[in-house]
Amino acid sequence: MDGKQALDFGASSDFPSLLRRQGLFAPAAPIGPMNTRAEIVPTESTTILAFKFSDGVLVAGDRRATSGNTVVYDRADKVLEIDRRSIMAIAGVPATAWEMARVLEHSFQFFRRTQLQEMSVDGKVRALSKLLRDNFGFALQGVGIVVPIFATYDVKASPSARLYFYDAMGAQFEATGSGSPAVRGILYYENTWGKKPLQKISEDEAVVVALRALDTASEADTATGGIDRHAKIFPIMKIVATDGIRTLPAEKIAELFQKSVA
Amino acid sequence: MIEEPYRWVEAIATRRDYIEMQLATGSPVVALGYNEGILLLTVGQQKLFEIYDRIALGAIGHPGDIERLRMAAIELASTEGFTRSAADVSLRRLAYYSLSPVMKNAFEQIYGAPFLARLLFVEIGTSPADDLFLEVEYDGAINLRSSDGGNRPFAVLASTKKSAEQMAEFLSKRFQSGKDLPATLDLALDAWTVGQLKTDEAMPGDDEIRRQRSERLGRGTISAAVLERNTNRAVRYRAVEASDLAPLIAK
Repeated sequence: MDGKQALDFGASSDFPSLLRRQGLFAPAAPIGPMNTRAEIVPTESTTILAFKFSDGVLVAGDRRATSGNTVVYDRADKVLEIDRRSIMAIAGVPATAWEMARVLEHSFQFFRRTQLQEMSVDGKVRALSKLLRDNFGFALQGVGIVVPIFATYDVKASPSARLYFYDAMGAQFEATGSGSPAVRGILYYENTWGKKPLQKISEDEAVVVALRALDTASEADTATGGIDRHAKIFPIMKIVATDGIRTLPAEKIAELFQKSVA
Repeated sequence: MIEEPYRWVEAIATRRDYIEMQLATGSPVVALGYNEGILLLTVGQQKLFEIYDRIALGAIGHPGDIERLRMAAIELASTEGFTRSAADVSLRRLAYYSLSPVMKNAFEQIYGAPFLARLLFVEIGTSPADDLFLEVEYDGAINLRSSDGGNRPFAVLASTKKSAEQMAEFLSKRFQSGKDLPATLDLALDAWTVGQLKTDEAMPGDDEIRRQRSERLGRGTISAAVLERNTNRAVRYRAVEASDLAPLIAK
């Protein structure tokens, strides 16, 4: 903490550039030649999903972390809280994704503290875009691809629930659902031909849809943990709504699982 | 002219007078411990700020200088919190290691501009014993109030030394630990009023303080912020909105 150094610089609202000035954060990765020999991490090797329902956005992720065909950890948390009303769910290389989440969390807080106002939802969506764009060089080299989902709640706008998915270059798309192909299929089916569109279903119904989707995804994909019936490991589920983020207790998920999925 | 040592001392003394004069009209800031955390209160323009998860700042002085120091504090705390962890961000270190030397230096370089600002930092700990009230003067001097030094959990920032003494004296008689937020707000407003009184007269009675308080509050907006101890969020700072403030304040 060098006081002189910080005082010499003018006011800034951008946290990554503050870190870069002090050499604490790597510059954007150069776009070098593509490493064709490296195994490009398939982004379906995790299943995260998010969709809007009647009360907000539900974000769910399985718990399995893999390296090649080895299961490294079966209680990973891929659904990360960034601030009071924003969630980032990660698929891809964990180290890069966690670092991005940390930068993002600090960026939003830094902006609020220095500028004395919350960063706008569009600003937040863009901030993640920039991080992904800076990381694209690494993604090409096969060491650090991240494909996140970003869910947030804009109290000032209507519709309030906002959901974005990104590609590895940082382009953002507003979405109603994402995840692996199997999950995408299920969400499309539920939304179009289900009893009610996803936007109209209750919280309990939303949890059941998410559980069934993750269970289906794990049926064919060895890298998705799904639901571990034996060890009672359930997916992480969080809900973003007007009053902030809520993590659904495992007991509640277990109960709905017993009732409607098992 | 200042090659001669006594000239330098003279220049510093003149500079001190000049700064004191500049600060003399500032609106006081009061920080009081209450049953769920620490309250910061002032009346007038915005000068209560969030520095980091557990650190808040109140200030008197020139807005431009307050802004530079506030920015420096936020940048220092944020980089520390990012590169290490939020637990490594410490108010003691921030003040002693980073801010104080820079402010002292600016004050003593008599061809450069000093900081026209007096700062009160408050850091909330896991228990009241860990709370810290720390004042940094325009010349870099630090006045630390921690409970292990036998201090009770309150601190003031006033436009003059005399005012500060008067407020501290008032609070040492009235302050009681463990009160709720409305009672603490009430006392903070009384203490703020005491900080606005003329310092060459004896302390007026309660009725007179009340009368002056309602007269002065009619002309300014109250701003208040709290550092909350028992919340499961990492960020303990919360600005108290005007709409929440009104019902809490006794008429």
